[in-house]
Amino acid sequence: MALDPVQLAISTVTLSAPLALAAIAGYMSERSGVINIALEGKMLTAAFACFAASTYLGAVGGILVALVVGILFSLLHWYSTQKLKIDPIISGMALNLIAVGATNFGKELLPPDPIADGKTLPLQLFYVLAFAVPFAMMVWSAKTRGGLRLRAVGSDPDKARLVGVNPLSVRFSALIVTGVLTGLAGSLLVTETRNFTDGMTAGRGYIALAALILGGWRPVPALLATILFGFASAVQIQLKGTELAGANIPSGVWSMLPYLVTLIALAGFVGKQRTPGGLGKV
Amino acid sequence: MKKISPQVWIVVAAGIAVILGALVLAKANPAEAIRTLGTGSFGSMRALSGTLKETTPLLVAGCAVYLALQAGLFNIGVEGQLVMGACTASAVGVKMPTPAGFFVGCAAAMIVGGLWALPAGWIKAYRGGHEVITTIMLNNIAIYLTDALVIGPLKDPAAAYPTTESLSKATRLASAVKANDLQINFALLVGVGIAVGMAIWLKKTKPGYELRATGANATAAKFAGVDTKRVTLSAMVVSGAIGGLAGALMVFAHEFRFYQGFSPGYGFDALGVALLAGSSSFGLLPSALFFGALAKGGTALAALSIPKGITTLTLGVVVLAFAAVRYGRKAKGGGDGA
Amino acid sequence: MSYAVELIDISKRYGTVQALDSVSLKVKQGSIHAVVGENGAGKTTLMKALYGAMHPDSGTIDLFGKRHTFAGSAQAIEAGVGMVSQHYGIIGELSCLENLIVGSEGSGVLNLKGAEERANELAKKMGFEFDWKAEASTLSPAGAQKLEILKLLWRNSQIMILDEPTAMLSPADSDALFESLSNLAKEGATILVVTHRLPEVFGYCDEVTVLRGGKWIAAMPVAETDPESLAKAIVGGELVQRPPLSTETGAPALLTVSDLSVKGPKGNLQLKNCSFQIRKGELVGIAGVDGSGQRELFQALMGTTRPVSGSIRFVQGATEQDWTNLPTRERLKQGLRIIPEDRLAEAVIEEWSLIENATLGLQRIPPFDKLSGNAVEPEALKIADLFNTKRGSLNDAMSGLSGGNQQRFVAARALLYDPALVLAFQPARGLDLNSTARVYSKIRELCDTGTSALVVSFDLDELLEYCDRIVVLCSGEFSEPKPDEGRDRDAIGRLMVGAK
Repeated sequence: MALDPVQLAISTVTLSAPLALAAIAGYMSERSGVINIALEGKMLTAAFACFAASTYLGAVGGILVALVVGILFSLLHWYSTQKLKIDPIISGMALNLIAVGATNFGKELLPPDPIADGKTLPLQLFYVLAFAVPFAMMVWSAKTRGGLRLRAVGSDPDKARLVGVNPLSVRFSALIVTGVLTGLAGSLLVTETRNFTDGMTAGRGYIALAALILGGWRPVPALLATILFGFASAVQIQLKGTELAGANIPSGVWSMLPYLVTLIALAGFVGKQRTPGGLGKV
Repeated sequence: MKKISPQVWIVVAAGIAVILGALVLAKANPAEAIRTLGTGSFGSMRALSGTLKETTPLLVAGCAVYLALQAGLFNIGVEGQLVMGACTASAVGVKMPTPAGFFVGCAAAMIVGGLWALPAGWIKAYRGGHEVITTIMLNNIAIYLTDALVIGPLKDPAAAYPTTESLSKATRLASAVKANDLQINFALLVGVGIAVGMAIWLKKTKPGYELRATGANATAAKFAGVDTKRVTLSAMVVSGAIGGLAGALMVFAHEFRFYQGFSPGYGFDALGVALLAGSSSFGLLPSALFFGALAKGGTALAALSIPKGITTLTLGVVVLAFAAVRYGRKAKGGGDGA
Repeated sequence: MSYAVELIDISKRYGTVQALDSVSLKVKQGSIHAVVGENGAGKTTLMKALYGAMHPDSGTIDLFGKRHTFAGSAQAIEAGVGMVSQHYGIIGELSCLENLIVGSEGSGVLNLKGAEERANELAKKMGFEFDWKAEASTLSPAGAQKLEILKLLWRNSQIMILDEPTAMLSPADSDALFESLSNLAKEGATILVVTHRLPEVFGYCDEVTVLRGGKWIAAMPVAETDPESLAKAIVGGELVQRPPLSTETGAPALLTVSDLSVKGPKGNLQLKNCSFQIRKGELVGIAGVDGSGQRELFQALMGTTRPVSGSIRFVQGATEQDWTNLPTRERLKQGLRIIPEDRLAEAVIEEWSLIENATLGLQRIPPFDKLSGNAVEPEALKIADLFNTKRGSLNDAMSGLSGGNQQRFVAARALLYDPALVLAFQPARGLDLNSTARVYSKIRELCDTGTSALVVSFDLDELLEYCDRIVVLCSGEFSEPKPDEGRDRDAIGRLMVGAK
C-alpha cells in the first residue's frame, strides 16, 4: 500500500476546508455560550439551499440564498435556546432532524439533475476562505470590541450583563455569523459535487465540533484539528480497495477511519479547562 | 405544571403550519394525508399489527435512550448499538439454530451493545468529552463495520445482496397473539416489561434514585455520596445493552436476519420517543406507539407520493415543540463541554 | 441642598413576593451612604433599580435632578452609575485589562495600548498595582475588589454602588477599601454601600437608610444614631438569644487531620500541609478570606477530592477509621453531614419536590434507606418544620422556595439524622439574623450531646459569636491564634492576611 504524498496533501486541503468553516461557525456560537450540535443540520440545509438556488439563479444567487437560509436556520437556533430556553442539546437535535427531513422533502420536489456548468463559484474561493477565516477570527476575537464582548458573554453571561453587555444581542450576532459560515461550508460541499444527496454532510458538523473542542475553543488550534481529520479522511480515500497483509479489506473498514480518529482524539483530550464558562448558560 | 408562555404556542402553531405547508408543497391534500396516516396505522387489524411491529424496536430503543436521559446523558448512539446488537444476534442465531440460540443471541447482543456504548460513557465520565459527539462517531463506525461484516464474512453466499442467512424456525421468537390478521410478537411484551420495570426501578430503588440525582444535578449527587462517574459509565453501558437488545429482538421477532441498511433510523427516532415520554418511563408506551404509527402510516403516505422526509421533519418539529413546552428551563449553570 | 440620587416610591413585585414596597432613598453628592437591612430586606433589589438591572413596577429615579428611565444597565452606566455586585463582576477568563474595558471599550477596534496607559494612571491614583495581561481568575478577592473600583473610575461613574463589598475581604483589606472610598467621596463621588457590618457604617459612612421586608424604615445621618438602636431598627424587634459557648475541654479527638495537602481546580496546591484536631462536642470555626483553601479542605473532608498527601482519621464509636481515601457514601454512613456552600449547585435538586430532596444525601442512611416514594413524607415534614421552612405543599418543586427557605431546609436535613460531624460552609448564607441564631443553636445543642461541627464563614464576627474555637486558613496554610488571643478579633484578622 503506497500513499501518494501530493495527492494526499491536496485531498487533505479539500477535505479539511468544509470542516474548518464549520469549526469556526461552531467557534462563534460556542464562544458566545450557545452549545451547537446543530452545525450538521445548518450545513445540510445550506447545502440544499445552494443546490436548489444555483440551479435557478446561478452561482451568485445560489450562494446568497445559501447564506440567507443558513442565517435563518441559525437564528431559529438562537430563538429556541435563548428565547424559549430549550435545552441546547435537545433543540440542536431537533434542528438536525428538521434539516434532514426538510432537505429530503425538498429534494424530492426538484429535478434530480446536477447543477449545470458555470452555475457554481470557483472552489478555490472556498478553500482560501476556509483557511483564512480562522486567522481572521483569531485577530478579531482579540483585538475588537465585538470579539471581547463575544468572549465576555461566553465566559459569564450574568457578569457581562452587569457591565452593560447584553448576552441576547451578542449571541444574536454571533449566530448570524455561524449561519454565514455554515452556509459557506454547505455551499462548498454542493459546489464540489454539483449535486445534493440525502445526509451529504455525513457527520462533518459533529467532526467540526470535535475539532473545536480539541482546539480548546480557539480558532487556529481548531483549524489544525480539522486538518488532522481531513488528513485521516484523505488517507482513508487512498487506502480504499488496497490490501493489508494480503487480505482484501472492504472499503467500509477504511471509511471508519476519520470517525475513529475523532473518537480517539476525544478520548485522549485531557480535561476541559478551556471550556467557555458560560457554555449552555442562559 | 408551569405556565406555558404564548411564545411556546406560537412555536407549536408554527410547527403545525410547517408540516401542513410541506404537504401542500408536495401537492398533497393535508386532510387526505392525515386520513391516510390514520388508516395506514390503525385502520385495520393488519395495519395495527404493522404499527405494533414498528413500535417494538422503538419502545425498546426508547427505553435505552430514556435510561441514559435520566442519568443526564444523551445517548444518540442507540442506532449504532442497535445495529451492532442485531448483527451479533444474527451471527449467533445462524450458528445456533436451536431455541437456546435466541437466549444466547440476545445476551451476546446486549454485551456487544453495552461494549459499544462503553467508550462514550468512559470518555464522558473520565475525559469530559461530550457523549453526543462520541456516540455519533460510534454510530458511523458501527454502520461501516456491520456493512463490512455483512458484505464479507457474514454474508449468505446464496444471496444476491449483502445479508446474513435466515434464522431457522427454532430460533425465532413466536407471536404472543395470533388471531386472524392481528399479530403481536412476544418482543413487544419484552419491551413493555422493560419500560414498566424501569419505571419502578427508577422510582422505588436507591440506585434508581441515585441515577436520577446524577442526571438532575451531578454536583449535588456527588455531595450526597453518589459516585457520579460510575453512575455515568454504567448508565451508558446498560443503555447500550438495551439498545443492543432492541436490535436482537428485531432480528428474532421480525427480520430473521441482518442485512445492509438494517435500521431505518430507529435509534434516532428512539430519541424522540424518550423525549416525548415525559417524567415517567410509563410514558414510553404511548410515545413509542405514536412514533410506530407515524412510521407505519408514513409508508402509506408514500403511495400519495409524499417524500419520506415528511416523517423526519414531523419528528423534528414535534421534538422542538414538545421541548419548548416541557424542557424550557430556568437560567442556570451547568454547561458542559459540547 | 440638591441630591445626586433621588429614588422615590420604588415598588417591585416578583410573583407573590413584594420585594420593594414604595421605598425611597436620597443621597447627597460627595457622601458615603449606607443601605442596611437583613437578607431579603430589598437592599440589592433597590440597588439594581438604580443600576438599570431591574425595572421597577412604579416609582421614579432622578440623578442630579434629572429624571431617568433605564431599560438596561447600559443606560445607567451611560448616566454615570456604576455598581460592584456582591460576587464581583470580574470575568475570570478575560485578562485584567479586558475586564477593565469590557462594555466601555470606546472604539470598535480596541486600543489596548492606550487603554493600558490610562489604566495605569487610574491605578496609580488609587495606589493600586496590576499585571494587566494576567488572567483575572488569578486575582485574590482583594485584587478583584480593587479592579472593580478601577472599573468604576474607567467608566467615569459619578454614582458608585457597592453591594456588600467587604463580604469576602479580610479586616485589613476592608479598611483599605473604605479609605479609598472616603478619598473618592472627598473628590465628589457619590457612594452607596450595602452592608451587614455596622462597624463599617459607623466608621466610614455619612448617612444610613434602613430597609426591612421590602419597606423603608428609617434614614438618618450616622452621627445621630448608635449601633444598638440601628440594630433594633434593622431587626424590628428583639434578637433571638444566642447559644452559650461551650467551655468543656479535654474530650477525645473525633477528627484528626495530618499534613493534608489538596490541589485546587486549576491543579495548583490550594491546601498545604494542614494539621488539626476536632474534639468530640466541639464547634470549630475556620476563618479566612475567600479562596484561602476552605473549599479544598471541605472537598477532602467530604471525600469528593483526593488529597495529594496527608491523612484524615475519624473516630467512630471506639474504632478509628481512615477517611483519607474513603468514598463520600461511607463517610455519610459513619455520620458525616454536609451543609454545602452553594445550595443550588450542591445541596438541592431544584426541579424535584421537597419530599424527594429530603432523601438527598441520606438515601443510604436510616430511616431513609428503607423508605421510598411517599413514605418519605413524614421525614420531609420534620425537615421542613425544624427551621420553619416557608413552603407550599411538600410535593412542590424546590425551585419554588426562596433562597433563605431552601437554606433552612438544607440545614435541617444535615442536622436531624444523628450527625457525628457536621461540615458547614457559610451555613447562614441567605438567612436573617434570627434564623442564623436558630441554626447555630441547633448545632450547639448537637455539640452538647457529642456531635462535632466545623464551620467555614467569611464573616469573622459570626464565627466569634458562635464558635468554641477559631482556626485560620491563609493562602492554604493553617494557623491557630495564641491561646490568649483565641477570641481577639484583631489578632485573628492579622492571621487571616498572613501577618504574624
